[in-house]
Amino acid sequence: MTLPEDNAIVEQVGIPLEWMEEFEAAARRPLEMRLRYAFIHTYKPVLDDAPYRAFDTMADYRRWCEENLPDWLGYGRV
Amino acid sequence: MAAFEYRQGQEVRDALARHGVRYLFIGKAGAILLGFPDTTQDADLFVERTPANGRALVEALRQLEFAITDEQAREIERGKDFVQLKNGPFDLDLVFAPDGIERFEDAWQRHIEVEGFPVCHLDDIIASKAATNRAKDRETLPRLRSFREYWYRKQRG
Repeated sequence: MTLPEDNAIVEQVGIPLEWMEEFEAAARRPLEMRLRYAFIHTYKPVLDDAPYRAFDTMADYRRWCEENLPDWLGYGRV
Repeated sequence: MAAFEYRQGQEVRDALARHGVRYLFIGKAGAILLGFPDTTQDADLFVERTPANGRALVEALRQLEFAITDEQAREIERGKDFVQLKNGPFDLDLVFAPDGIERFEDAWQRHIEVEGFPVCHLDDIIASKAATNRAKDRETLPRLRSFREYWYRKQRG
């Protein structure tokens, strides 16, 4: 996600204009419609290849992600 | 695997309520419930870690047709920090110890109900994403913080 290209800012609230318009538009939609647009499913290699995984600690989970998932999925810590 | 839909959200909400499960929507799914316009692939639930709550959760998930074995049920009841379910009608992540939030009770005190969906406060969602500090969270955070500004202003009228 990047800032809108023109970096337009609504001065009073410090929110980029493009985002402000999106927030306002979303606020006008009922929850059912918002959820319909929000959840998508695309195949994620490795991550989607097991029906169940459990990790004792979040650190274990983060480590597993970094060691097993492709970088481009974005699960690695910065 | 189908994407999570409103109807499934209602089924999760209703099944977990019937079984008395204490949980909150967290992550981007939680933000979306609060009005954040974005996309995500699954729903994350922050679940209170107690044996009774874990048992109730397993019963509810089985009712939702998640294929949970007895061994997996024991792990959920014990409350492993993170459980990833892809053995049901949609993907669900169970988070018992999200980064950036100390105790479930603290998040519960601040939580927000959206049409019956219990949702973490936006500040907790942001704190959790900031603490996790993954590349995909880093991408989302500037827009999410802008949304928080918008959301607070809307709350204040």
